[in-house]
Amino acid sequence: MSVETPVQPDTETPTQDETLAVDFKSSHRRNVLAWRDLVTPALVALVLVGLYVDISRRDLDTIESNVLNRESLTDATLQHIYVSVSIAVLVMLVAVPAGILVTRRRTRRLAPAVLAVANVGQAAPSLGLLALVGIYAIGFWPVVLILTAYSALSVLRNTIVGLEGVDRGVLDAARGMGMSAAAVLMRVELPLAVPVIGAGARTALVLAVGTVPLGYALDAGGLGLPLFGAIKTNRPVVTFTIAVMIAALALLMDWAAGILQRAATPKGIR
Amino acid sequence: MLLSLYTVLAAVAIGLLIAILTYRSRVRADFTIATAAVAFTLPSVALFGFLVSIVGSNLLAVFPVLVLYALLPIVRNGIVGLQSADPNVIDAARGMGVGGFRMLWQIRLPIAWPVILAGIRVSTQLTVGIVAIGAFVQKVGLGTYGYDALDNLGSVNTQNKAIVCILFVTLIALVFDAVFVVIRRFTTPRGARA
Repeated sequence: MSVETPVQPDTETPTQDETLAVDFKSSHRRNVLAWRDLVTPALVALVLVGLYVDISRRDLDTIESNVLNRESLTDATLQHIYVSVSIAVLVMLVAVPAGILVTRRRTRRLAPAVLAVANVGQAAPSLGLLALVGIYAIGFWPVVLILTAYSALSVLRNTIVGLEGVDRGVLDAARGMGMSAAAVLMRVELPLAVPVIGAGARTALVLAVGTVPLGYALDAGGLGLPLFGAIKTNRPVVTFTIAVMIAALALLMDWAAGILQRAATPKGIR
Repeated sequence: MLLSLYTVLAAVAIGLLIAILTYRSRVRADFTIATAAVAFTLPSVALFGFLVSIVGSNLLAVFPVLVLYALLPIVRNGIVGLQSADPNVIDAARGMGVGGFRMLWQIRLPIAWPVILAGIRVSTQLTVGIVAIGAFVQKVGLGTYGYDALDNLGSVNTQNKAIVCILFVTLIALVFDAVFVVIRRFTTPRGARA
């Protein structure tokens, strides 16, 4: 992740473009919700129900039943969602304005500096950063801030790519209609860039769900504590359960964010 | 560090094989990319945990996860790269009597090479990061220091260990990146250079 790496869309973007292209062909006007959207939650629900049935049939020892009960798991899951969504929101609040900033003509010079900061944030291992900051501060905010820095790059990159991908002709037309620079940005550029920015935001969200467990020692809550606890106390059943739950959570949040993204996309390019 | 190297080598071999087997048919290619994307959505911590609970704490629980993650960028860029050869070039080659295997080896692969290499580069960076996370399964690599620090927050060496983890992981990532710049310079066919 060297600094001079050219700006390229995040790993998720091409797939996103792919689906967009396919959707374009298959139906002219696609609704926000489609039958196909039911596949992911159905599969996840199936796995979770199977897991639940299997666990409730087993004899659990004290440690296992201390972790695997409804209240503590619900708590941990809700906290996990809360922390991850906070991170994703914060990333959007920081990275989208930064992306807008470095694509404006007057502030374009800042681009290398901003990208360098974001690159360093992502290249440094979140594990070590969490440990380092954990010496001085623990709790919700340290974890959220570090992981925000960690996942900001994907949104930043996609914002830049999305804004630069807007057709010059469209911009010219908007300007020719007498729109101010701000109006062009808010009503033309940003709406057109939503699919790309959204793909970046989904990557950031999934990254957040996956790295929040690493904050287990910083007391930010979430499914990390039971997971690492289970590994250290050597309880494969618990490890398995929590791992499946984290995976299910990631898939579901990606799914929900995907629908949200589609809802935010203007009708013409949906 | 060696582990990252093995992972990337394995992923390159498997990934290119998958790409070569699937790039011809659009349906198969889309399906492969979609499957890889789903696998990519699963958090590495969860996959590590999943495998640990099945095979126990050893390298067998680390390596497959690493390879799985490293696969996605390689497979996708491989497929995209192999599909991207200009139809006119393919036509010209066929007109010169180039057959199936040589078409792949001498025409399509060299044209796709910069794209494939970019994929390998991304997957190397990913792997270096995920190897660190996998250290909780089996004490390998620099992640060990990171977890040691997390588990002993506030002890004398916490800060040192955390810094070791951060600095060296970043350093390795940068070194790998530099290696790729060199590889790209020397292996890109002259005509395909930008």
